[in-house]
Amino acid sequence: MKRGGIIVLLLLLAGNLLLPAPAASAAASPAAAQHILLLYDSLAKGTGKEGNVAELQRLLAAYSTQVTLKNISDYEQGSLTAYSGMITVINSAELKIANSAYLQDAAGYQGSVMYVGYQPPDRVQQALQLKTDIWHGASASLSIGGFTGIPLEVEEMPYITASQGGRTYGGWSFEDGGVQIPYAVSRGEFTYMPYLKQGDLSSMAAAYVLKDWLKSSARPRTYLVLKEIYPFSDLELLEQTADRLYQSGIPFIASVRPVFGNTDFPAMKRYLEALRTVQSRNGSIVVNAPAVRPPISLSDRSLHDKMNSFINVLAEGGVAPLGMAAEGYWTYDKEYSTAGMGFFDSAVLYADEEARYMEQTDTSVTFPSTVYSLPLEFLQGISRTGKAMPELPLNAAVTVDLPEDEAALDSLMQNLGEEWYTFADYKREAHKVVTDINTVESADGVIYINGNNLNVDYTPRTIAADYQYQEKQATSFNKLFSVQNQFFIIVILIALLLFGGLLTIGYRLYRRKYLK
Amino acid sequence: MIDNPVKTSIRPGITLASLRITPAFAAAFGVLLVTVIALFTAPYVGMADNGDFFRIIYSNGLYFNLPDYDSQYFGYFIKQFGIYQYYNENSSMLVSSQSLFIKLALLFNKLLFSKEVFDIRFQAAIYTLLYVAAVYLLIEAVTFKMSRKRGMIVAVLAVFIFGDTGYTAYFNSFFGESLVMVTMILVFASWLLLYRKRYNDYAMLAVLLVSTLILTTSKQQNAPVGMVISLLSISLVWIRRDKLFRWVTLLSAALMMFAGIATYLNISKEFVNINQYHAMTRGVLMESENPETALQSFGINEQYAILKENTYYDQYGTVDVKSDLLEKDFYSQYGFVSILKYYVTHPDQLGLILDTAAESAYTIKPAAMGNYEKSAGKEFRAQSHFFNVYSTLKEKLAPRTFAFILLWMAVITGVYMPSFVAAVRARDYRGMQRLFVILATMLVGLSGIVVSIIGAGDADIAKHEFLFTLAFDLITFQVISSVIGRGISSRKSMPAAPPSVPAPEYAALNNGVSI
Repeated sequence: MKRGGIIVLLLLLAGNLLLPAPAASAAASPAAAQHILLLYDSLAKGTGKEGNVAELQRLLAAYSTQVTLKNISDYEQGSLTAYSGMITVINSAELKIANSAYLQDAAGYQGSVMYVGYQPPDRVQQALQLKTDIWHGASASLSIGGFTGIPLEVEEMPYITASQGGRTYGGWSFEDGGVQIPYAVSRGEFTYMPYLKQGDLSSMAAAYVLKDWLKSSARPRTYLVLKEIYPFSDLELLEQTADRLYQSGIPFIASVRPVFGNTDFPAMKRYLEALRTVQSRNGSIVVNAPAVRPPISLSDRSLHDKMNSFINVLAEGGVAPLGMAAEGYWTYDKEYSTAGMGFFDSAVLYADEEARYMEQTDTSVTFPSTVYSLPLEFLQGISRTGKAMPELPLNAAVTVDLPEDEAALDSLMQNLGEEWYTFADYKREAHKVVTDINTVESADGVIYINGNNLNVDYTPRTIAADYQYQEKQATSFNKLFSVQNQFFIIVILIALLLFGGLLTIGYRLYRRKYLK
Repeated sequence: MIDNPVKTSIRPGITLASLRITPAFAAAFGVLLVTVIALFTAPYVGMADNGDFFRIIYSNGLYFNLPDYDSQYFGYFIKQFGIYQYYNENSSMLVSSQSLFIKLALLFNKLLFSKEVFDIRFQAAIYTLLYVAAVYLLIEAVTFKMSRKRGMIVAVLAVFIFGDTGYTAYFNSFFGESLVMVTMILVFASWLLLYRKRYNDYAMLAVLLVSTLILTTSKQQNAPVGMVISLLSISLVWIRRDKLFRWVTLLSAALMMFAGIATYLNISKEFVNINQYHAMTRGVLMESENPETALQSFGINEQYAILKENTYYDQYGTVDVKSDLLEKDFYSQYGFVSILKYYVTHPDQLGLILDTAAESAYTIKPAAMGNYEKSAGKEFRAQSHFFNVYSTLKEKLAPRTFAFILLWMAVITGVYMPSFVAAVRARDYRGMQRLFVILATMLVGLSGIVVSIIGAGDADIAKHEFLFTLAFDLITFQVISSVIGRGISSRKSMPAAPPSVPAPEYAALNNGVSI
């Protein structure tokens, strides 16, 4: 019986191991239902802190948290109760908050509270027994998670000199070799994070703090994303890259640019062929957001139909898009988030390069599966505790542009090999894309198009270039007109000869009569 | 040679309450009246912004001060704009002679109306006055020596054509076409007046020079205009014997050429990209039987065939039109010359695209832009139909093939050829000028079409071809006026200029066309 019990236990364990991974890791997170109010005093434009609010927005999105963004001065009394948590970013060291409605509501707020930047309020200072100062040096080293002693350039950085009884996150060490001080501290409902800058390790450190603050329990995954894939990219090199990654056992996501017209051209067919090859090399496809012109009017409502049609072209061509990749600001635009991203339940969010809103909203749209992105260079050679790349606290996409040539591909493969990344397979998670006529789903590494299992194995075909670009005009009575043409040509020639003859005769008569 | 200054004979006119009404005065007054009613009385007629205004207004210290300006693009004419009160950091995005007129209007606006708000009607007022003056000179040149009755018929025709709101609506906009219109008519009129020897030659040469310089530098696509007029105006050197005139004329021609070259070189990068993009996607690729082969002939990746028919202004696209990718693999592979070469080697495609161009060659005012203010209560993009019979008829009736344009050019040239040949035989350089001015106008118009196609494909073609439609009207008006004046080859025709040569030589002038 004892042995039997052990066998049963082993079978149960094995069964548990063999069971599919939980669908949509983020969906299991309690953070999914949260709605956070993100307030700021200024966006710190033109300073080193510019972009830290946008970074917070993107980090929060990666935890599938809905965010409403407001300037503190726009806060209206009583509105705080609608949110499960509040984050206040203070980028100005001197200016005092003047909105009394905010001050009053914030002082009595019972939900989770996080303060970022200068001037933590008295309530937080008391709760955390907090003492702060400003570091005027130019650099400091940050350690958090598995990352150790990463030197960062800082500028007028507020930091925690003392706190009591709370949980601390990471640590700073200053260039003069001073004592280690915590990066952030929390206790109960209060969290204080003095410093956040876009594009350096402090944003990853903030991700660790946020994970705790949002009580996210989902197991994060890291993906490799190939960006800048256009129909006019070097498609052979794309296939070669996919092949090399496949041989190295690296699953990846290809973020492919959409095409909204001429999808019957051989050029598009070749693009589809290349994408099918990518898919057969363990690549997952996400649709990259289209290039957007600065909108000159709100009247162009064509995005929905264009995206719908492109996804259908992909699905009918045997390519299964599983999500959408876009700059973070797309989730704060009514038109882009609904007409553009509405087909997908999964998104990869890139940092904003240039926000070109059409219908900006202050509240974001969330997706059950959202991936934060950071470039490969960010992690390259980063100092860490072990040889392997530490696990990041949130679902993250390490992005890399499609190599321009073979040398760049070699270099990419070398970097990936050296850094000991653990990349996950995107299609192992649950994703769903629904258009008017097609439904694409994935789970446990299997892709379905309209309920049918998609066989990703594929041998590329050569696309014939004998496409009829110009429609031949329908003609009738060709023969008749051709005969008619010839008839008229003859008539005109005879008439010309006749006129020539008459002219000559006339001229001779004229000469005879008058020029004798 | 006809170069002796002669006093003008008394011209036909109507004396009314001691005011002598000449055909030129009547035409100018008629155009003024119609324009004032259209542009300065409610509901005001103007043209909506198609997204181009910002290029010219921001560099001139103006900005869009309407909160819902964006929603009125294409739909409604907007007459008031904000004036920058602080340092304007917008360096000149577009170098254009149009700035001079906007600045002048701004000056009057600040003196008479407001220092914070700019009313575009100040600009319209300046253009209207210049336009009326241009029409006066044109009719003066055309009706010179014509009987009073016939002159008045020509004046009515002029009001019918040039008073059309299709033309004058441009004054209430920041489109360069308004300036093109005024200066092109001045060029035509001053050159014709030199032929007529109606006013002081130096004064007319000055008008010709200044108008050409402003016309050439008003829009980048007008770069060839300066060059064409420069080359043909060299013939003016011989209309007088005095060295001073000859040198002044040569210098003027050189200046015009310089203005053309400078305008071409001054084309801003983005402007080049916009047109370069369209030249390929809406030009070469559009009419090509196999876009991939066409791209290969330029050394461009055949996959770019996907961009066929795309525009630079597409709200959503596969690739950012300003991206490094396009810069490296697309824009850098072709230019004006290589596209010209392509069309020369593919005449069938050139024929097709020229026919496409001819489709829109007779549109004066594109229907894409609305003419009324939002407050007028008209629908989005509503078009004004006040005094626009001519532009409507022209658009509806003109044959829309390039062959017709060629035929029209051949007929016009043929019609004026006999008098030109006679002038050549008589060594009458002034008498030759009429064909030169007509040829120059034709070539300027043709350059409008060719530059549009090679430079920007069929994108925005109706507006790009404005120069042609105006040239067509000027020449056709001149021809019809000739017919009204005396009949094309009447033996009773009048000389180009007052006679200063002996009678037998003078008689030779009367062969062929004259008024």
